[in-house]
Amino acid sequence: MIYYFVPDITIFGGIKVAYQFVDALNLLGVPAVIASPQGRAATWFLSHAAVVDAEAARDMFRTEDIAIFSLPHDYERLRNLPGKVFYHCMGTDPLIDPILKDPSVEVLTCWKQAQEYVLSHGVKRPFDVGISISPSFSYAGEPKYERAVAYMPRRGRELCESVMNTCSSVRYIKIDGMAENEVARVMKSCSIFLATAEDEWYGLPALEAMSSGCVVVSVPVIGGMEYLHNGINCRVAGLLDFTDVVNGLLSPESAFLRFRLRQSAIATSKNYTFTRMLNRISGLLNGPLSSLKKY
Amino acid sequence: MNTLCAIIVSRGLDEMLRFCLKSFFESADQLYDSVEVIIADNSSPRPYTESSLSERRIRVLRFDVQTRFAVACNRCVKECETEKLIFLNNDVFLDRSSLNKMLQNSCRAGIGVVGSWLYFPDGRVQHRGVVFGHGDIGPYHLSRGQFLDPRSPFEEYQAVTGACLMVNRSLFNQLGGFNESYQFGLEDIDFCLRVRQYGYRVVCANAGRPMHFESFTPGRVELDGPSRQLFLEHWRGKYTIDG
Repeated sequence: MIYYFVPDITIFGGIKVAYQFVDALNLLGVPAVIASPQGRAATWFLSHAAVVDAEAARDMFRTEDIAIFSLPHDYERLRNLPGKVFYHCMGTDPLIDPILKDPSVEVLTCWKQAQEYVLSHGVKRPFDVGISISPSFSYAGEPKYERAVAYMPRRGRELCESVMNTCSSVRYIKIDGMAENEVARVMKSCSIFLATAEDEWYGLPALEAMSSGCVVVSVPVIGGMEYLHNGINCRVAGLLDFTDVVNGLLSPESAFLRFRLRQSAIATSKNYTFTRMLNRISGLLNGPLSSLKKY
Repeated sequence: MNTLCAIIVSRGLDEMLRFCLKSFFESADQLYDSVEVIIADNSSPRPYTESSLSERRIRVLRFDVQTRFAVACNRCVKECETEKLIFLNNDVFLDRSSLNKMLQNSCRAGIGVVGSWLYFPDGRVQHRGVVFGHGDIGPYHLSRGQFLDPRSPFEEYQAVTGACLMVNRSLFNQLGGFNESYQFGLEDIDFCLRVRQYGYRVVCANAGRPMHFESFTPGRVELDGPSRQLFLEHWRGKYTIDG
């Protein structure tokens, strides 16, 4: 049995990716469950993963079981479990270096930059299991309001406010504390999405916005640059010129540019479908991760 | 040896039960080496007798006082020794292809529970799997009442209906059977959620046109409320949302 240990049920990308991974394993016939404090399930996105109490899971852990975790703080608690331990790398903070140096821990990665970091700092070759966008974000021609801008104020609030103060004739829609299907509905109705979180590891929301047909204006991020291609499928702008870029995109003369960026963004997002992720994991299960299947 | 026992909790509805048994035996006889049926006679006004059912492979367990579904089922399971169990409602009419597909799926590694697509007599879908909505919506039958054709030979769900549910007896016993706290209803969903917590899959097979009239037994629907309340008290916040 595979137990994927998660720290809580809050609205945080790492939680969704964990459930997504367990869903994928289940669909491929691998027994896996989420192990969560008090057995509580995250309910802000769609999933069919089973959830068990994390403490009970640790207590009944057997040598043939596997523990997966993504929060570096869980390492100390899980490293001495009798079975195998996998670290699902979703950020490349130096905090993770001791995990990467532990030869008994296998490492899963979700994107290229993390893969490279693990290769340069770790002792084991990582397995890239990928990441995917929920189908609920898939844009199917829903009506868009060209002067509506979606943003997530949780990180980069000042930058959002700076844009709002400068471009006041636009409707801004705050995405905060919403369930996934509501986020998808908002993104599909908006023309532009502001990705303002500096030092973002990957930025799944920006990728989801691309899938929803938004033109993404993003600050430079760390791992997410693998899908953000400035001027091709989005605009990437530093803090100083971020507002100007948004202003420029909103002008009537930029209608064709918005259309072109939107089309490219949707095309890019097709590289991150759940089916593609399933195929990738299936390939690993039939190859280097075949040991997972016997559990 | 390939053995199957059908467990049917039934109250009255003699004709319905007769057709249920007929369709079950016709379907199962060609698929299993040994087939038997245990009927929990849940205080029928006119008790069933083994002789009146005219089939030597049927055993009747009489409950003189109306008994909870879970209690009756768990009691029946203690009476049988077959490898596989199928729980059937007395208003479910199986056919050979649907039972065959359930059997095939139940033999696959990692699969704990197998349900089946079920149809109302007019061809609308009665059951194709149970999904879970936010808050008080809780579990519900996906696509219920729609005219729909299956797209894949089986689908995976968090739960399937106990109106037609196949499980290995060893797994059923490992989990302690159905939770007997439920009055009538949702003990099947509770069971499936527990099955999945052990890493087993719950799938719904589709083949043929098995029929389910649904909630024909008088007084059955009134018992849903308390069961639903108990279910939500126990499981709220502990299942994922997929519907």
